[in-house]
Amino acid sequence: MTNASLWLTQIHFLVSLGFLTLFLLIELGLSWTLLFFKLGAHFTKGPGWIAAYRFWVRVFALASVLAFAASIPVLIQIGSLWPGLMDRIGNIAGPLIAAAILTTFIFKSCFLGAMLFGQRQLSDRVHTLVVAMVAVGVTLASLCMVILQSWMQTPTGSVLINGEYLVMNWADIAGNPSMPWLAALLGSGAALTAAFLLLGVSARQSMRHPLSEGELLSFRTGQHLALGAGLVLTLALVGYGQDMAQHQPAKAAATMGYWKTGAATDFPLVGWPDAARQETRYALRLPGAAASWLGQDTQGQSLGLDRYAGMHAPVSATFWSFRIAWAASLFMVLMAIASYLRLRRHDGDPAHLSRTSRRLLSASMFTGWVLGAAILCHVLLGLSPWAVNNTVTLAEVSATQPAALLSAGLLVHALVYLIFVGAFYQLLRHISHYGVIPVARRRGRA
Amino acid sequence: MIDSLVNLLGFSAHDPLFWMPLVFMAVLFAVITAGALLDGFDIGVGCLLLLAPTGSRTRMMVLLGPWRDANAYWLFLGLGLFVSVFPKAWGDIMEPLYLPLTLMALGVLIRFVSFELRLRAPVELQSPWIRGFAIGSVMTALAHGLLLAQLIVGSGPQMGNLAFSAFIGICVLAAYALLGATWLIMREAGHLRIRAIVWGRQAVRWVAAGAVAVSIVLALSNTGVFLRWSDGPPLGAVAAIWVVLFVCFMSIEITLRRMVNASLRTTALPFLMTWLVFVLILAGIAYSFFPYLVLDNITIWDAAASVDSMRLILAGAIVALPVAFIFNLWVYWSMLGPTRPPQPRPYAPNQA
Repeated sequence: MTNASLWLTQIHFLVSLGFLTLFLLIELGLSWTLLFFKLGAHFTKGPGWIAAYRFWVRVFALASVLAFAASIPVLIQIGSLWPGLMDRIGNIAGPLIAAAILTTFIFKSCFLGAMLFGQRQLSDRVHTLVVAMVAVGVTLASLCMVILQSWMQTPTGSVLINGEYLVMNWADIAGNPSMPWLAALLGSGAALTAAFLLLGVSARQSMRHPLSEGELLSFRTGQHLALGAGLVLTLALVGYGQDMAQHQPAKAAATMGYWKTGAATDFPLVGWPDAARQETRYALRLPGAAASWLGQDTQGQSLGLDRYAGMHAPVSATFWSFRIAWAASLFMVLMAIASYLRLRRHDGDPAHLSRTSRRLLSASMFTGWVLGAAILCHVLLGLSPWAVNNTVTLAEVSATQPAALLSAGLLVHALVYLIFVGAFYQLLRHISHYGVIPVARRRGRA
Repeated sequence: MIDSLVNLLGFSAHDPLFWMPLVFMAVLFAVITAGALLDGFDIGVGCLLLLAPTGSRTRMMVLLGPWRDANAYWLFLGLGLFVSVFPKAWGDIMEPLYLPLTLMALGVLIRFVSFELRLRAPVELQSPWIRGFAIGSVMTALAHGLLLAQLIVGSGPQMGNLAFSAFIGICVLAAYALLGATWLIMREAGHLRIRAIVWGRQAVRWVAAGAVAVSIVLALSNTGVFLRWSDGPPLGAVAAIWVVLFVCFMSIEITLRRMVNASLRTTALPFLMTWLVFVLILAGIAYSFFPYLVLDNITIWDAAASVDSMRLILAGAIVALPVAFIFNLWVYWSMLGPTRPPQPRPYAPNQA
């Protein structure tokens, strides 16, 4: 197993999982937003709520289709790229994957069809309940995946015997130290992604025509959602970093670009981690803020990368993905606050924003994706060279495919994914310009 | 047979370590068969789109509409069950199959997404997605064939294996096309039916050739499989299976030939016969492999997860599978027989 093919394998898997994550973020965020719209329609009887629901349910349907379809390559690649992985963690990963799949299956087959195509057949109350069930189903299935990923980061509640993990206690597995933070990151990231989608689309619509009631409601919902989710996300990012310092000091050291064990003081905001010289060059440092972001040894010294004999994550990728995640989240929080303050006196109507700010809002429609991709890169690449932290390496579970085959596979996957992301954007732009087309489908008839 | 297995493995017949993998194997076989039969006509119609004239393509896509999302779940469910119940065979099976699996994953992804995008796209943007659906279907069908061939002969790079894989790939493509064509014959009258008859007649020969090739190669390239079929009672079963297969192929051919002249009458016979062929071949392969997941190497008991994990999954499956069963009965009950247009609801101005 050469280093290059291990890298290719990792990137290959990361690309597939990333594609899934992008649409899962939208699906998860919009599912709860739609429930909010339905409840709003229920309690205030305003006509805008239903219009907003009708528009965004189309986007939700498309995102859920893409997320579901994207899960099949991921599932297959767990076997074809990491053939040794399930041998070792099958007892833990198996039930979690099964739970995610059975949940998806039950909730999609029972409720998604009724939500998308059965609104006329159901009473209003029942339909709202169905929308709620769809949101619960998506959340439960993503929670299973979060538990699996976080357990691989901080394995607890299990024991490794003869190269195979056995379950000791499911409660400890589910409640492993990094689980709450990853769950919070996914949840708030999804909400923020959905919020910026709402803001961006409505801002773009307001440049073409005065906003209707429903579009205004979408914009206002996006504003409040962005403020709330931005706050939670910032806290979750801090918590994730502190938790990492405590439980994954090697990953924390790579994130901080901290090479030599000692008394750390400065937090490098940006810089260039140079592996050959074992130092972070050209760093812009924040004095006295570093200690709680790094693991400590018994003498109270901050653990640097020199303690790990090369068994640590690729420093530049970990360092930069964490900072990109921070930059994206701060950008979104600032945008949300600024637009809220500007429009506080104007009832949240984006028509009162300048054209440039509206263009900026509409251009930052997919900032949530940047955030999601950066966090995913940090979570996955930061764990390497381990597949399960400190026990199972990626190299020992990885496939031995020739590099040429892997690159070809990666290229084709990336191409297909790009086409579908483009198609999603094209359709989103089309419906935001011309409104939604109703899609009817009857079971058993054609 | 259960007794001999129990003796061979040294388990008690009531030991969950013994019966749980068997139960899951049965469930998995049911899901795979259901996937092949129900997703099969979907894939078949998708492949036939490439041959259909532009005017009929939209109609063919619309005909598939009601079952599309139900059909898409079978593969998902099968993969999920397999990876969670037999984790220790997952990597060993998947790693050598990287190429056909990639083809299949992309095929399934492309056809699923293309179908939904066509449904939601404005009319002038629909035709690329129809083509995408067709290409995805052909990729999926070919990938199934390659997977089947490589499971049977192993994935050595010898010339014979490659030729065999290519041949089986084409045969499986033809099998799905046959399934799709016979389904169209049953569903839709008019010129689409006449075309479907022609497609079906061309496909049926390849399917018959493929069935023979799979059986012969499976038996001859593997002594264990040959012994299992040629000793005692299975020999009678072999004869019976061949007679039934022969009757199926002949009846499909005869019905299709007659229909060329009298295409006004609808018939479900060729479709059901094709289903029977699929079931027989799948059952034959399952019997040849059992109890191995990787032939002569990993049995279902070697590959199974720990009893605790299996018990959890079984509990989940007991909840989920009845739901799946009821849901699918509800969805599929009107799949047979000719299509009926949806009835508009009576106009009632006072109701919301």
